[in-house]
Amino acid sequence: MNGAQLPLDGIRVVDLAQVFAGPACTRILADLGADVIRFESAGRMDVTRNLIITDNDGMDHHWHRASYFIVRNAGKREMVLDLAKEEGRDVIRKLVARADVVVESFTPRVMANFGLGYDQLREIKPDIIMCSLSGYGQTGPMRDFGAYGMGLEPASGISSITGYPGGPPIRSGLSFTDPYSGFIGAGAVLTALHYRRRTGKGQYIDLSEQEAAIPIMAAALLEQQMTGRTPQRLGDRSAWAAPQGCYRCAGDDRWAVISVSDDAGFARMAQAMAHPEWAADPRFATVLARREHHDELDARITEWTSTRDHYDVFHTLQAAGVKAAPVLDGKEVLFDEQFRARHHFDVVDQPLLGKRPVQRHLAAKFTRFEARARGHAPLLGEHNEEVLRELGYDDAAISRLKEDAVIADAPSLPVPAQFIAMALKLPYDRYLQHGILQAIDADYREQLGIAE
Amino acid sequence: MTDRALSGLRVVDCSQGIAGPYATKLLADSGADVLKVEPPHGDYSRRLGPFPGDRPDPEASGLYLHLNTSKRGMTLDVSVPSGQVILKKLLATADVFVSGERTSTLRAWGLAYDDLKPAFPDLILAQVSPFGATGPYADYDGNSLTAMAMSTIMYNTGEPDREPLVTGGEPGEYLAGVQLWVGILAALANRARNGGGDHVDVSMAEAAAAADEYNAAMYGFQGAIRRRYFSRHIFGYPNDIMACADGHVVVIPGASGFPSPLAPDTISPMALLLEDIELDKDPMFQQMGERMVRWQDFEALIAPYLSTHSAAEIVMTAQALRLPFAYVPTAADLLADEHLAERAFFERVPAPAGGELTIPGAPFRMSETPLHVAPAPKRGAANAPVLLDELGYDKSDLTVLSDQGVI
Repeated sequence: MNGAQLPLDGIRVVDLAQVFAGPACTRILADLGADVIRFESAGRMDVTRNLIITDNDGMDHHWHRASYFIVRNAGKREMVLDLAKEEGRDVIRKLVARADVVVESFTPRVMANFGLGYDQLREIKPDIIMCSLSGYGQTGPMRDFGAYGMGLEPASGISSITGYPGGPPIRSGLSFTDPYSGFIGAGAVLTALHYRRRTGKGQYIDLSEQEAAIPIMAAALLEQQMTGRTPQRLGDRSAWAAPQGCYRCAGDDRWAVISVSDDAGFARMAQAMAHPEWAADPRFATVLARREHHDELDARITEWTSTRDHYDVFHTLQAAGVKAAPVLDGKEVLFDEQFRARHHFDVVDQPLLGKRPVQRHLAAKFTRFEARARGHAPLLGEHNEEVLRELGYDDAAISRLKEDAVIADAPSLPVPAQFIAMALKLPYDRYLQHGILQAIDADYREQLGIAE
Repeated sequence: MTDRALSGLRVVDCSQGIAGPYATKLLADSGADVLKVEPPHGDYSRRLGPFPGDRPDPEASGLYLHLNTSKRGMTLDVSVPSGQVILKKLLATADVFVSGERTSTLRAWGLAYDDLKPAFPDLILAQVSPFGATGPYADYDGNSLTAMAMSTIMYNTGEPDREPLVTGGEPGEYLAGVQLWVGILAALANRARNGGGDHVDVSMAEAAAAADEYNAAMYGFQGAIRRRYFSRHIFGYPNDIMACADGHVVVIPGASGFPSPLAPDTISPMALLLEDIELDKDPMFQQMGERMVRWQDFEALIAPYLSTHSAAEIVMTAQALRLPFAYVPTAADLLADEHLAERAFFERVPAPAGGELTIPGAPFRMSETPLHVAPAPKRGAANAPVLLDELGYDKSDLTVLSDQGVI
């Protein structure tokens, strides 16, 4: 399907978003064919250019080697532009005049203070679609709150229903409401583009990450209203299925999940575990009985799972028609045969780093096109000149912008870059000792088949 | 009627549960005409509840009422040929057909994409399934739990010596629903620009894995495999939920909370929050790695402050110091939340048993075409209007179909 036409061919996106949610949104738009031009400033790089540095080696130019940044900015173009300078804002205005969509994730009012609020942009481009992603939205008493992803999942209420029974609320091991709200941002922009195709009208989208995630709390919110009970933390169990849980398998810290929602499914599970008599046992015969004797049932299931590989548990139970899955770590997900068969990871050829896997952000597969990473993630300011030329700047004008530090292709740092690079090197040897890391494979590129 | 974002778009939705219905709820609340086609015994979300006073009632299931707003509803058994005939008449005027079945089931019913494409070349078949429509696991069954297990997120959630924890609220279902919704809109954009229908194939497992922040990246760029460690991030401690005087808060120092080599002559905001500027000299304040491995010491250091202050005091003080701390509300807290109230986030819909229910509002706000919520349909409410007025059946046909259990 190379060279196939894409749904957003010809759509240009001015991407002033940073970190995680906004870039996840524009990564989807880029994968769908939009020309996404992102912006950073030399004095305040996207902080994710400091995160998960390739090989954790303390080497210089860490901002070109940060995997966290690369994964969600693949296929975009980038300028480094000083928005505090009028000439910098002028570049944005010229670009907006030729753009369809603006996505930004500053705290509220920053864009307006730059003279780049929706009302100002609409004067330049009447049908512009602008999407602001923020932690708590553009209005309300908490609008100016600083917001990180690790705080927004709890702020949406989800952590109050996540945790071991009787234990404290727990965050997910990764900030998933960030990409979740980014995905919603992509859908919101596509909805606005649909409306613009019909009517020619643009509009403004206010997306609060806290609000975007609250629908995941719907059952809990309604339980509170309908029963007066505040929903409890159930661990891996469910009000709708029994048995349901996460069961230890053979090997070091290997696990599989199993979920059985009806009696027929329980009989199939019992058969697959070579204990058909469980299905007739009155303690386990109905979902209510199984819930009552869940601990005892879990002990029996664990007896079966604990001597088996988690993938064996998965395939054996699925073959019997029982919902199950292995609990995958960051290595296993790259090698899983289903993810491989469906190309969940694209390999991009990243400057300085060679071939690297980046996951799909739009998980949907299509027959007419592929929503895949369109190329490498941009180096800092990689497309400064290219974009300026498209806007009609000539050599002299570009040189002036360089001399006046309106554009840049390196960060301006108050201390030597090497010093920061060393500070970003995490003590992985100690992390291994403490069990924060499981292992480090020196030959990972060979294993992945991406060695040079 | 006012022009809505998706006015004129016609969707026939045979999906049940959470993922598919959430995708079509977002379309319906945006103005699409979504005809929900339930099996005669009803969408299974009608059996999931929660129910008023815990009394099961298929017309009062909270999840059903939340997930099916703004839709019309009819019953139809699409597993039998007479139901398939009616469904195909509906598809003739539809832009999008949504299904939550695995491919083998759709094929058995003659409703797989290859079966439909010749007769409906411009139709978009949007299919959400546990592992995707193709590949070695295509026929496997699953739910939010299996999706979160495959995503890597679960492996890193929970305590190191206990089992991995799944995130509450069935996020795998919602992630898949949102991905399906985005996929449908992408296919519509492609049809408008390049022509032709499409098969939008969303795997719940992939939808959840798309939300992996950096587990796969750590392996693909470092060869490092993260283990479950109290759900903590690899690049920073605490960034975690901690107990305070009246509940919990999320302690997030952010990019500039601790002493920075970039600003050597200033007092760090974390030291200001804890009212002890000497803390800036502590190795745990100066080095992230030190905090990470000596977290019990750090917890002991911060506990006296947290345990003597309320969540509101801590979060407001921290935010004033530009530390992005956050609250940890419960369902009850959210319903009473002032910020959400001022933004008029929640929607109120009539409760089937009388009174009103508060349900989550739109996950994004559009200035020209705001999303709008109408109550979810009663089972089979649109049977007569659809079959009589739109498809031209007569009343005796309805009786026959009803007697045969097709509607």
